[in-house]
Amino acid sequence: MTTSVTSASSLPDAEEEPPTLRKEEPTKEEPTKEEPAAKEERKSKRPGSGSRSRRPGRAVDQERLNTLVGGRKVSLCVDGVSVSFDGFRALNDLTLVLDAGELRCLIGPNGAGKTTLMDVITGKTAPDEGSVYLVGHGRDLVGLAEHDIARLGICRKFQRPTVFLGHTVFENLELAMAGNRSVWRSLFGRITPAESAAIDAALETIALTEQRDRRAGELSHGQKQWLEIGMLLVQNPRVLLVDEPVAGMTHAETERTAELLVSLAGERTVVVVEHDMDFVRKIAKKVTVLHEGSVLAEGTLDEVQADPKVVEVYLGAPHADG
Amino acid sequence: MILKDILGRMHTRRGWATFGALALVLLVLLPLLNSAMTPGSALHLPDHLVRLLGKFCCFAIAAVALDLIWGFAGILSLGHGVFFALGGYAMGMYLLLGIRGQGVYRSNLPDFMVFLDWKELPWFWHGFDNFFFALFAALWVPGLLAFAFGYFAFRSRIRGVYFSIITQALTYALMLLFFRNDTGLGGNNGLTDFKHIYGYPLALPSTQLALYVITAGVLLIAYLLCRYIVTAKVGRVLRAVRDEENRVMFCGYDPRAYKLFVWTFSAVLCGLAGALYVPQVGIINPSELQPSNSIEMAIWTAVGGRGTLVGAALGAFLVNGTKSWFTGALPEAWLYVLGAMFILVTLFLPQGVIGLGTRLLAQAKATRKAGAA
Repeated sequence: MTTSVTSASSLPDAEEEPPTLRKEEPTKEEPTKEEPAAKEERKSKRPGSGSRSRRPGRAVDQERLNTLVGGRKVSLCVDGVSVSFDGFRALNDLTLVLDAGELRCLIGPNGAGKTTLMDVITGKTAPDEGSVYLVGHGRDLVGLAEHDIARLGICRKFQRPTVFLGHTVFENLELAMAGNRSVWRSLFGRITPAESAAIDAALETIALTEQRDRRAGELSHGQKQWLEIGMLLVQNPRVLLVDEPVAGMTHAETERTAELLVSLAGERTVVVVEHDMDFVRKIAKKVTVLHEGSVLAEGTLDEVQADPKVVEVYLGAPHADG
Repeated sequence: MILKDILGRMHTRRGWATFGALALVLLVLLPLLNSAMTPGSALHLPDHLVRLLGKFCCFAIAAVALDLIWGFAGILSLGHGVFFALGGYAMGMYLLLGIRGQGVYRSNLPDFMVFLDWKELPWFWHGFDNFFFALFAALWVPGLLAFAFGYFAFRSRIRGVYFSIITQALTYALMLLFFRNDTGLGGNNGLTDFKHIYGYPLALPSTQLALYVITAGVLLIAYLLCRYIVTAKVGRVLRAVRDEENRVMFCGYDPRAYKLFVWTFSAVLCGLAGALYVPQVGIINPSELQPSNSIEMAIWTAVGGRGTLVGAALGAFLVNGTKSWFTGALPEAWLYVLGAMFILVTLFLPQGVIGLGTRLLAQAKATRKAGAA
């Protein structure tokens, strides 16, 4: 019984993975995505990623963490992470230290590894080497399952707005709500007045109060983006990873998104990946430039833009919005 | 207060009234038409129709169980016949042990064991002379198999058509296993020649009527349980898993746990349906495990309307009603009719018969409004 199941279960993985990944990876941050859903699915099925996610995270190497932190108030450290997809090195010994409450922008040409970095932090992709530390949590995040990392308060917004299209706006927020997410609780628990109030407050913030009972599928593109941001809000995150939040937004919506992200930083650490340099200029205090999977430069936007290495990289890839 | 909330969440007032009316028809009116009317009168429900209805109710339970996972969690099982058959075999073992000493060979062992020259009961038959032991086995054996199967399948993130294909393989593998005489479950012929259940003779129409009433009652309860699940938060999480599994994970839910719960629950319901089925048809054999049987269950659900629960039950009655008529009148045409039904529904009625009904109702309402204005 069991043997027939397990041997059959390895089939789709083994057959599908290697060739598609090789083709997919170098172009994976192209602004026009073909079927991101299909791509995500393939990536999440990386051979071994399932089994790796069940290994409990290693204990934090406290000494190493102290050298990284260096006395600052830090929320998240990415330490020496490397990821390669069949020879293509998406991330190359990347180290990134995020201060508590800062708003950091990640920029870089296509294929620099921005999205892969988010995949590693959120547990979607298991790195070949390296660690991810959430300060205050005693274990390496590498090796934890996606939902466990989300429960620790690391939340993510995707490039393409991913909300539950068949659910109402209210239900979307209800599902995202922080709290006990066990089957048992979902079977017998009921929404508390406090939770209901938190959802109403979030609806207010993202200006969707009137759309409360509409299906998310009926919302405009910009509204969907906002709904997804609202879902992150009610998750009450410590670290927010936001991938291209203003793609496809109108000018006014972009303005409001900028204000919202700036207001969120302070209590939370916010990381924004964005191609739109005007938007980055509006919100960023500190910018990190990624190139070929490692950090190329770090500083204010002006410093970074004056850096000859950065200029060279962007001139080498003139199609990026740099 | 809480109960009122839950009931209100499950159905509107009108929905509950319809449910009550349906329950009255199934549990009171139809039995009365059978027992209180004199045979031969126009209103009398003949005994063979009672048996047929009881059988259909079993199919409807299986269809509702399948719809719970297919319609709401997006997991298409083409192997639910496995759980149905396991439940059926558990009940069959009880019924067969009930005729110890009354078989052809007057032996204390079931006939097929005597025929195979076995001297004693295999270990896994022990305890099945107790009705409640057998009934309990009809629930936990399918449940355990589903749990183990689902645990590995969902952990390996097998989804969509791959999952469906593996469930087909599962039912085929089990069919081959049950065909073997060495398996100890009657091989090719299965288990049959039952005489009584819990002391009541199965040949009596009154026993069959009681079995029908119990099955109809179980169908109604199964429907309510499933309805409770899909209107609770679990249901919303499951629909979210169906539509956007990644997002669900990044919201902090473990989709595997949710899938495993609903998958196992569905299998247990299916096992119960199988256990109720066997005393009404009088036989259980490996043909119940044919891959086509499991596919037929999916067709019932699709024809009636997937993702509605009521539709699945209705589909089971409709398709099997048509089947009974055709296999009587035009047996060789039945498979073509079944195929045609499936194709037509897929092409023209994506929401099944229930979807057509609600659409027509809405249209009628709209024209009435337009006429009044």
